Amino acid sequence: MKESRHTRQGFWAAALIFALFSLPVMAGAPVPDIPEAVKGDQCVEETGFMRKNHMELLLHQRDETMHRGIRTKKHSLKNCFTCHVVKDAGGQPVTVKSPKHFCRECHDYAAVQIDCFQCHTSVPGGHKTTGEKL
Amino acid sequence: MMLSVIYAILFYAATLLLIVGVGRKIAIYARTPAPLKIPTTPAPITKAGVVWRMTKEVTVFQSLFKSNKWTWLFGWVFHVALALVLLRHLRYFQEPVWTVVALIQPFGKYAAFAMLAGLAGLWARRFLVDRVRYITNLSDHLMLALLVAIGISGLGIKFVSHTDIVSLKAFVQGLMYFDLQPLPSDGFLLVHLTLVLILMVVFPISKLLHVPGLFFMPTRNQVDNPREVRHTAGWTAE
Ligand code: HEM
Ligand code: HEM
Repeated sequence: MKESRHTRQGFWAAALIFALFSLPVMAGAPVPDIPEAVKGDQCVEETGFMRKNHMELLLHQRDETMHRGIRTKKHSLKNCFTCHVVKDAGGQPVTVKSPKHFCRECHDYAAVQIDCFQCHTSVPGGHKTTGEKL
Repeated sequence: MMLSVIYAILFYAATLLLIVGVGRKIAIYARTPAPLKIPTTPAPITKAGVVWRMTKEVTVFQSLFKSNKWTWLFGWVFHVALALVLLRHLRYFQEPVWTVVALIQPFGKYAAFAMLAGLAGLWARRFLVDRVRYITNLSDHLMLALLVAIGISGLGIKFVSHTDIVSLKAFVQGLMYFDLQPLPSDGFLLVHLTLVLILMVVFPISKLLHVPGLFFMPTRNQVDNPREVRHTAGWTAE
């Protein structure tokens, strides 16, 4: 008798777990749709390296430029935007206010805040914009 | 892709073992009678009072505080830091990510250091305090070693050699949606995930069962009303 009660509990446990797991099967997994670069076929470093380490490059660039006065182009934020731009319906580059912005596509997904754009522009062309908070 | 398939299978198996294992233990605890009325006094005399008492046990480790300040300090710091770390990890499992989880991201990473400091203190105690060393088993050391190793490998990803967080999240989401996505094959990450798998598997057969077990402590979860209500359970009910 005790045996059968165990079997029944086991069955319900298994059924519940199965139900919980099959709930989300409706759709594919949400993954970010990383926008293609608009030109060139090679980033400033290899793509896999950039995906993992772009923040180190940007911070290093900042330290070199701001603390040591050495301003170079290769790893500058401005240079990123010459290729990594997303255009809106009117053909204009979107700013970081849009969730479609190149940086935000992944940063929203990974829940990582970036404060670059409180001062820096988030679109190519170098015009001065400030306060583009996420 | 081979690697992704292997880890996916391991994660499904470990999750099943964790849920079924802990569920089974909870069912056993719930069926085990507590025949005696033994709340440690002064004890609350109402149900609401018991809820408040348990809340204090779980959040500030009240009994441990009363019994040993050093153990309380290290133990509490470790557990609170662990809670923060786990909350920070929720970002891999949610899309969109909750606002609180996004807000604590910057703090979560320092919590890892607090967690390791707490664990170091707890571990030192097991070597340096004679009476504690005497009752320490191999499994006590292994549990601490496992958690320290998880912490160090996690910090390795964060501060030594990064992984592709976005791909990792896609892999986790893929597991949840049964839509397999490639797992990044970075050293620290694979070590971290392997250790977490071990943790999941040993959870239902180790001292980590104190997590559900805590709620079944008769000395803490009973109302102090032996005169008002006759207490019967197990052999006292026969
Ligand atoms: C509801 C959540 C939890 C509560 C209230 C809780 C509470 C406690 C308490 C009171 C102790 C006793 C300390 C002592 O007397 O030595 C302890 C020890 C311990 N806890 Fe937890 N715990 C919780 C969750 C966890 C989780 C999720 C883990 C790990 C995954 C964990 C790992 C440990 C370990 C390893 C020890 C032993 C430390 C040593 O060896 O000295 N705990 N916990
Ligand atoms: C499937 C489960 C898990 C996954 C996918 C995972 C993944 C990760 C990743 C990718 C990082 C690096 C974060 C970064 O670079 O920003 C990390 C860090 C860390 N992990 Fe895990 N982890 C898991 C479970 C756990 C568990 C159960 C614990 C604790 C017992 C843990 C403790 C840590 C710690 C202490 C860090 C370093 C601090 C931090 O970045 O939050 N992880 N983990």
